[in-house]
Amino acid sequence: MAVGEAKTYKIPIGPVHVGLKEPITTWLEVDGERIVDIKVRPGAIHRGIEFMARERNPIQVIYLAERICGICSFAHIESFVRAVEDAASISVPKRAQYIRTIMLELERVHSHILWAGVACYTFGYDSAFNLGLLLREKVMDVLEAVSGNRVNYGVGTIGGVRRDITPEAAAALEDMLSYYRREFAAFYEVATEDPITKARMRHVGTLPPEDAVRYCAVGPTARASGLRVDLRWSSPYEAYADIEVTPIVPQDYMGEVYGDVFDRFLVRVLEVYQSLDIIEKALSGLPEGPLMAEPKLPKLLALLKAADGVGWSSIEAPRGDDAHIVKLTKGDENVTWWKVRAPTYANIVSWPIMFRGQEIADAPLIVNSIDPCISCMERALVIDKRSGSSEVLTKEELLKRSREKTRRLMGR
Amino acid sequence: MSRRAEYTDKALAPEAVVSVIKERLGDAVEVVGLRDRKAGSNDTVCFHDLWLRCPKDKFLELLDILFELDFPFFHVMSGNDEGEAVLLNYHFTLFQSSGKASRLGVAVSVYLPKDDLTMPSIQDRIPGAEYSEREMREMLGIAFSGMPDESLVFLPEDWDEQIKPWRRDEAGPKPEQIRELS
Repeated sequence: MAVGEAKTYKIPIGPVHVGLKEPITTWLEVDGERIVDIKVRPGAIHRGIEFMARERNPIQVIYLAERICGICSFAHIESFVRAVEDAASISVPKRAQYIRTIMLELERVHSHILWAGVACYTFGYDSAFNLGLLLREKVMDVLEAVSGNRVNYGVGTIGGVRRDITPEAAAALEDMLSYYRREFAAFYEVATEDPITKARMRHVGTLPPEDAVRYCAVGPTARASGLRVDLRWSSPYEAYADIEVTPIVPQDYMGEVYGDVFDRFLVRVLEVYQSLDIIEKALSGLPEGPLMAEPKLPKLLALLKAADGVGWSSIEAPRGDDAHIVKLTKGDENVTWWKVRAPTYANIVSWPIMFRGQEIADAPLIVNSIDPCISCMERALVIDKRSGSSEVLTKEELLKRSREKTRRLMGR
Repeated sequence: MSRRAEYTDKALAPEAVVSVIKERLGDAVEVVGLRDRKAGSNDTVCFHDLWLRCPKDKFLELLDILFELDFPFFHVMSGNDEGEAVLLNYHFTLFQSSGKASRLGVAVSVYLPKDDLTMPSIQDRIPGAEYSEREMREMLGIAFSGMPDESLVFLPEDWDEQIKPWRRDEAGPKPEQIRELS
């Protein structure tokens, strides 16, 4: 602490960074190494997708929804088509409900493994990062076997699904289940039993339960703060009505809850196992029957044109509650309006709580801990208020600081 | 006044929630619909969505009634320029931590006349509503009184703030300002 009046620096991080997923600016106000406050400025990648939907019919909007996000693309169309089905009172065949559930869980497996790997990378645990990316390949292959694509699967449609689970795809899924049950444990152990990993994540970026409630945190971020919230449990949709899902909270496994990055890590790792169980149950209970409520596209479009009302859907995406609200007007074939609220939109509001009092070296890890769909560290400008000088911190430098801290902890 | 900051584990039936609201606010709040949301192989009712329409001056009172039942988890606000008025839908959830299939979605529609596009901010009650209020301010031109941060959240820094992208009247973007991609 400086003598006399305490002064702080301001560090902008972002908006553009190639290493992480999408652009966002965060202004960190720091006193030495300590983060005093943070201001988030999103908007660098607002593409006006909701505005574009006004000139498209609901089937066309599916393709927009799918492109909101590359990792949770199925979660977005799932939420969108459910909102349309709510507005137009369409019920989905049983088999389609189960296939949707399988897709959602595959996406969760993919998202969580990727996240855990990247989190390890952030603090310099490169072998765990590489292991994570290696493990992730399997689910990508299976997604390709099921849908034909590694990203943007094109599986969901209004009133059902467009792809069946063929016997070959079912075999690939079963092979994946045994692969992960065999291989994922190694990752779970290195990541959770390693003392350095724990030292880097414990008591970092803490979000107390009452703040998680007040700031409306969702998904693994909320569950890591000890809140028993999971839409698959509190408001089952699709096959979750038949398959038991209980929210995974750290206190049930570790006896206590901190709401820090470690707990967020733990929740996601455990949810991978949970997803495997759900996929297994959905696969073994897959009902026979049609895939779509209305397979003839012109007829479906006519039905949607005749529909009038607002539909709302909230589903449990890998990162948390993904809400879509859509309005259809009778006689108008296009979507009248559409609102998307991705989970990151909700979780970013609680970033300031997580950041306050933390070290700059932990910033990349905290940013990552909510699994933001937008994040970046490309360059940072450090303004030294005391000397009036300013320097640019590159992404490499920030990453270096984070990694150096790990090395310090390892005594090297 | 300190309000609860925890989720209850005691859920009320949707009809009971409706009667609590009716008892306290009478006909001021209109129940537009109570939807059963079904899923699964037996088509069981898994949760409910309650759609309400509330006049602006009763909105905070309604929100405080929800607070008595559970912390109203705030999803987002949706909205539209309806010509004479701007529609705002507040999407809340009650009882999301009260057991399997207990969640109740509560959507509250408020119509704001074009000559008075103001709403009280709910950030003092639910800080998680920050981004949504800022978004509705920049996209639809709603002024939220008591809002701590009025800066842009999604629009670019050099945006002409007179243009409200989601408005369909003269406040909205002109056709020549829209670039068609296809």
